[in-house]
Amino acid sequence: MSESLALLREHLLATPMPAIALTLAAFLAGNRLFLRLNRPSWCPAILIAAMLLAASLALLGIDYGDYRRGAGWLMLLLGPATVALGVPLFQQLPRIRDLWRPILISLPPAAMLAAFYSVALAWLLDASPEVLASLAPKSVTAPIAIGITEQLGGVIPLMMGGLLITGVMSTACVGALARYLSIRDPRVLGFVLGVNGHVIGTVRAFELGPTAGAFASLGMSLTGIFSALFLPLAWRLLGL
Amino acid sequence: MPVLRGFLWLVGFLLLGQALVWSLRLPVSSGVVGMLAMTLWLILRGRVSEDIQAASQPLIAVLAMLIMPGVVGVFFIAEAFAGQWLAVGVALILGTLLSVATTLWLMLRFMPADAPDE
Repeated sequence: MSESLALLREHLLATPMPAIALTLAAFLAGNRLFLRLNRPSWCPAILIAAMLLAASLALLGIDYGDYRRGAGWLMLLLGPATVALGVPLFQQLPRIRDLWRPILISLPPAAMLAAFYSVALAWLLDASPEVLASLAPKSVTAPIAIGITEQLGGVIPLMMGGLLITGVMSTACVGALARYLSIRDPRVLGFVLGVNGHVIGTVRAFELGPTAGAFASLGMSLTGIFSALFLPLAWRLLGL
Repeated sequence: MPVLRGFLWLVGFLLLGQALVWSLRLPVSSGVVGMLAMTLWLILRGRVSEDIQAASQPLIAVLAMLIMPGVVGVFFIAEAFAGQWLAVGVALILGTLLSVATTLWLMLRFMPADAPDE
């Protein structure tokens, strides 16, 4: 009996479907739990979902590599989804056009410092070059960050984990600072969320409203483009 | 079929992005080039068609789910970086706090104060 169950398990795991089902289930459960907890800004839905997913993989004894191969089918949608961000960007264009100056002034230092702070702190604490390279693109949206990390010689799973923590921290910090300094301007909050918290910040910004969401998409894409050009160059100059 | 038609548009722009990245050796991802091309196309047309709207809204809504498979990997590499987790944690947490504060300051410093109507 148990032998045939093991065979069935093996048979099912040979297809990408279990990985896709687990990801969808964890995402939906994470969202539901997030709503049940009254949308805590320190713990976004994706963190809950990622922990649920990791726990179920461990419980079911599914190897991460196997899971990753299956879920790769789902990640294929990341490309079209990135293209889709052009729509909110276009819809908010009039507002963005009015503000091109503050955006262009703030973006390069903000994107550079987002990488610099973390790399400098990790370097002070004796992190290996591999770890430094994985931390540098921590504020860059996943599809671009993967390319940057490969170029710098980092480790992709570590970089993706950094992305998660950065996204979670950004939404928490923006939430706390906005309350503390009573900032309500959705343009500022959205932009800050997108520049620092990539997709996770952008998802949070869309919860605040369409203006915040559009500014977050803008901040995220500009940070991505700028970092893709700037980080490899900086790495070469620093001789890392 | 509006969702399918819209999805075909998105995939088309992604392919265009891929072609541009490959032929011009751009250092950015094809998704971002595709997004910029899409924005440019919408500017030229002046409006978002229902098809594109129907396909992009649900995709944007599940963006977080699409990065989950990669993100979860961090829970499975704990041993590989034993001894460096303090550096990683401080860098990510303190680094992000600092960068959020800096970006906020920069934006507030240079942003004209007009009342947002939302």
